[in-house]
Amino acid sequence: MKLALEGVGHAFLGRAVFDRLDLSLDAGEVVALLGPSGCGKTTVLQIAAGLIEPLRGRVRRAYRQHAVVFQEPRLLPWMTTRDNIGYGLRIAGANSARREAAVERRAQEVGLHVRDLDKYPVELSGGMRQRAAVARALAVNPDVVFFDEPFTAVDVGLKRALQDLVIATAAREKFCALFVTHDLSEAVRIAHRLVVLSSDADGLIASRAIEGAPGKRSDRAVFEMVESWSRDPAFRELFDSERERAA
Amino acid sequence: MKPIARSLVFGGWIGRYLWSAWAGAAGLCCLAAAWQAGHEFYGSFILPSPLETLRAVGDLVAGQTFAMAARETAERSLAGFVLAVGIGTSAGVIAGYSFAAMRLTRPIVTVILGVPPIAWIVLALIWFGSTGGSAVMTVVVAALPISFVGGLEGVATRDRALDAMARSFGAGAWMRFRTVTAPHLVSYLFPAWITTAGTAWKVTVMAELLSNSGGIGGELATARSLFDIPQVMALIVVVIAFALITEYVLLHPLRDRLERWRDAGLRWGVKR
Repeated sequence: MKLALEGVGHAFLGRAVFDRLDLSLDAGEVVALLGPSGCGKTTVLQIAAGLIEPLRGRVRRAYRQHAVVFQEPRLLPWMTTRDNIGYGLRIAGANSARREAAVERRAQEVGLHVRDLDKYPVELSGGMRQRAAVARALAVNPDVVFFDEPFTAVDVGLKRALQDLVIATAAREKFCALFVTHDLSEAVRIAHRLVVLSSDADGLIASRAIEGAPGKRSDRAVFEMVESWSRDPAFRELFDSERERAA
Repeated sequence: MKPIARSLVFGGWIGRYLWSAWAGAAGLCCLAAAWQAGHEFYGSFILPSPLETLRAVGDLVAGQTFAMAARETAERSLAGFVLAVGIGTSAGVIAGYSFAAMRLTRPIVTVILGVPPIAWIVLALIWFGSTGGSAVMTVVVAALPISFVGGLEGVATRDRALDAMARSFGAGAWMRFRTVTAPHLVSYLFPAWITTAGTAWKVTVMAELLSNSGGIGGELATARSLFDIPQVMALIVVVIAFALITEYVLLHPLRDRLERWRDAGLRWGVKR
């Protein structure tokens, strides 16, 4: 087990977001964390990534390095793409030769051209920026990667490409990942296991293993799984609030 | 980047920077034209023509006392600038991290900014006497709040999302300050520093004039008592030239180097 949240609870200004939440990540496992907007998915991720301290409970980590891919790219506007991708390595104290090699390799993996590496983030398109953000996370060779709805703002084609990239890299490098999303079909494509967070304050969760390995499931299988789960009571809230938001 | 490519980029930047001076020169020429018109109207005694003034500047610079006086003034305003910017910026940055300090210092800054520099000169004369110290102190007190507010606002408006990103990679406080807060801070500090530099020259000359402690201000006092109007104009032009040099030769190029990323997103026609 790489990461475990035990009895974690959190509240903002006295309003409980969730309470007594248990969640664990096994080695090489990709877990999708689903839930309607405002149910505290991102808060769970931030607690897991150590960005905020939980009010109750504890987090146990058995790994060396983690990385976070945020919803927005969060690139430093005053650094070139090259320096941005190498930023995590710089913090880790890697020398410039090692940084350079890792940056070029990861940039190529995420589909960034060498030419783009000397550009500043303002000169890149939104999709390119998100690719750079993924490359920055992968560059530190993380054992655990936290994804916070990373592909919500990119177009459908790129979204698929980036999902495939995450699936392939996770399988190859055996990192485990917590992937926060509100998109059930994305979760079904990418993850080994689904965890659903409820918007009730107790944060009751349902956990489902997904048949087959990520990347091996056909589009048809993904579609059918989503179709049958959309009638499942555990997932109902997810679809309810989607409708509410669309209205 | 290869050295050749780097020197090409640098050359391009120098070229663009110098070329932009034409626009500035055109603006100054318009001012000179208005000045000439005023001269035609009032005559040489009230307002010497630009040409007469330039000649007086030539004589002044060739004279023996000028170099000494200019050095004195330059030293005083530089000392005042460095102290004001150094103390103001570091105190502002520290205050920016603490809401309590921010709330406490805001009214103090308003009070200090509200006191006219001339009042500080009077106090400084009492405390330091007719020495360079009173000029330096006046510059520091008059200009410090500007840097202070710049540093404070810069830190207070730092991007917390980027800060969280840096923390997620395990960055310590110093690393986060250097890579996340400081580059953002620069855009708040430079306007403050440029204002401070201008204030430093002006206030130094004023303090020198009033305290009769030499420097360009002392020269100005002498010229005034002799009713040497071209000399007065020449000294004013010299002070303005010093202020322009400080801003456009020292501060602006530095800012351009530090803020290259801001230009990167602009199209060619929009670049300065």
